[in-house]
Amino acid sequence: MIAELSFGVAAAVLLAFMCVSMLRLAIGPTAADRAVALDTINTLVVTTMVLLGAAFGQVIYVDVAIVYALLSFVGTLYIARYLEGGLK
Amino acid sequence: MTLWGVLQVITLVLVVVGAALAVWLRDLLAAVIALAASSLLLSLEFYLLQAPDVAIAEAGIGAALTTAIYILAIRKTRRKEEE
Repeated sequence: MIAELSFGVAAAVLLAFMCVSMLRLAIGPTAADRAVALDTINTLVVTTMVLLGAAFGQVIYVDVAIVYALLSFVGTLYIARYLEGGLK
Repeated sequence: MTLWGVLQVITLVLVVVGAALAVWLRDLLAAVIALAASSLLLSLEFYLLQAPDVAIAEAGIGAALTTAIYILAIRKTRRKEEE
């Protein structure tokens, strides 16, 4: 009970960090700011998934976070390649 | 309302904020980034509803595939939206 509560509070704090990153994504002047904000949200989502997998007590939930960490990298890679001017 | 309910409400508010940003922003690359963030948080919401298989599908299609296809389309056309 106590462990579940502490995991939930930690997830709530990470969601508050996501709110701040979403603010940067909204007001960011350049596209690079928004890309960095998206990458920060990516990392926070993966962290929250691992945390909730520990809270729910299911090992299979951590696999979702691993797949997610692999896939979110591809999106950031495409944005970075576009900003660099490549991507023929 | 339980603690998990509070987490779900915060996640859904962030999903709606991301979707509204994707509509409001005039820079199409910024709109694609906002759409990717919205899709990401929708995947977290599926995860919170204890449906990890749906979360994997949403992550694969929403985060990776949709962003890549939209950015390739912006590359082929133009970046700024016209009035």
